[in-house]
Amino acid sequence: MGEHETSGIFESIVEKLPGGYDIYFWNFIILMFFTLFEVAAVFFEKIPGTEIEITLYAVWAILIGVGVIKGYGIAAYFMHLKGDPRIYTRTALFPVLFVLLMLWGIGLSNPGSVQALPEWCTPNWEFASQR
Amino acid sequence: MSGGEAHVENSIWMRAVLIGGVFLAIGILAFATMGVGVANVKHHAYEDAIHKYEDAKYAYEDAKAANASESEIKALKEAKEEAHHHEIEAHLSYLTWRTAGITILLMCLTYAAFIGLGGFLNSIYPDDAGHDDHGYGGDDHEHHGSGSPIIFSLGIMLFLMGFPSFQGALGNMLSGVEANLGDLGLSMLGLVIVTAGVANWWREDLPFIGNHEQIATSDPFEGQHIRKAGLWVFIMSEVMVFATFFSSYLRMRTEWCTGWQVNAGNCEEVNMLTASDFLRPNGAMLDGLGGQGDFMTLLPGAINTFALIISSYTIVLALKTAKAKDWEAPSGFMGKLLPDQKSAVRNYLIATFLLGSMFIVLKLIEWSHLVAEGFTIGTQAGSIFYISTGAHGLHVFIGLLVMLYLIFKADTVGYDEKNGQGIEYFGLYWHFVDLAWVVIFPAFYLY
Repeated sequence: MGEHETSGIFESIVEKLPGGYDIYFWNFIILMFFTLFEVAAVFFEKIPGTEIEITLYAVWAILIGVGVIKGYGIAAYFMHLKGDPRIYTRTALFPVLFVLLMLWGIGLSNPGSVQALPEWCTPNWEFASQR
Repeated sequence: MSGGEAHVENSIWMRAVLIGGVFLAIGILAFATMGVGVANVKHHAYEDAIHKYEDAKYAYEDAKAANASESEIKALKEAKEEAHHHEIEAHLSYLTWRTAGITILLMCLTYAAFIGLGGFLNSIYPDDAGHDDHGYGGDDHEHHGSGSPIIFSLGIMLFLMGFPSFQGALGNMLSGVEANLGDLGLSMLGLVIVTAGVANWWREDLPFIGNHEQIATSDPFEGQHIRKAGLWVFIMSEVMVFATFFSSYLRMRTEWCTGWQVNAGNCEEVNMLTASDFLRPNGAMLDGLGGQGDFMTLLPGAINTFALIISSYTIVLALKTAKAKDWEAPSGFMGKLLPDQKSAVRNYLIATFLLGSMFIVLKLIEWSHLVAEGFTIGTQAGSIFYISTGAHGLHVFIGLLVMLYLIFKADTVGYDEKNGQGIEYFGLYWHFVDLAWVVIFPAFYLY
């Protein structure tokens, strides 16, 4: 109960790291690092030392990517889902169905969805809409 | 006393009453120093800054009316803008100290009332009453559940039934209008019953040393601890609560033309300011509001994010220490903080508690700044921001109230490998609160 299996890739990497720190410590360090990273991504308009602009889509990608990594780190290691029986993971994932339904609803009720959804879903939309 | 429980004398609960007194003293002291002492000094500085700004403004307008030279008008304009900047800074500085003082006072009053009243209610029980079979059961008693959730739910129901008149009366009292004190009655009764329910749960849980943890006997959680399964179902419902806030926000946001959308070429003119326009650098401006964010405005949210992650780690350390079979005290300075296993568990919990309390104080300071800068609950973006972050803050605060009891138990009966699951189950809730912040922070503060 609440103990981790030591069979995953992350765990096997942690075992080889110096200092003798456990997986909780490295998970904590990773969470801190990615939080710094996401704040920095929003703080800077350009990648420091370069002229490359951080665009809206790059910020989205960073925020969503970092969110997924941090969410996984907290749920899998701090909340022990990785070592606990599968039923807990299934319980935790159950509301995701409803979250997806909500996102679907948001998409459908979006003012632009009448036009935008067929555009996203139809290959070669411009040609199709002109015919 | 049954053999499967720790012996807890009722006098031990008086310690909780004393802790309540300590919180009361800390709250009053913090309010007197921060909320009154420092805040008054800052208020004087703020008044000076207002006068300087007005002088600079008149000097600039007079120079313009007298057709002064262009360079002189330019210099006066710069001086006026600088004075305005100082005035805003002085105002925010005053708000920081005032809000911190008031928040700490209110938090400490709640802590004191909660643990003090709970301790007092349990201390007045006769010694025998605490050792019947209402707890987790002894060796010779079969466990038959707890009445605490029913009492607690009744209290919540009465509180909510009386809430409309409660908040109306409270609003009148705060704004100096005559209020009918009877309007507070139903909700106050509800709060007392909530505290009694919680106190009853404490009385049942404190002697628990890990024997007779209830195990589920049917699918889908067969063989698992019932408390843990229940907590996961509760977390599942909490995911739904936060999902509704988040989806409302996303739905509204698709209709707003924010600074991000303008920069991406998706629309032409900003029609809505979000919290991030006030907090992050390069935020959008609308009607003279927003766009003033810098490192310092984003700092409270960023510190809070780190505080929650660190607190998640400290609660993991508390659990790990409680469960350790061959725990050794660290050497050096850490050895003084963590002298033995029992104290180490308690001190890790205290660290978690302090980080959580800091989260609430910084959150309210940040709110006070946002309101002062014009980001109020009256706009769509403001309402969803304050409701979502407020609901999250409420979860943190409820977690802190529960943590008060965990610290009390760690200090008295103690946690070890047999009853450490109490920390684990609370930790699940606390990690969930951290997880919710992982979504809220980028969505509301950064984007």
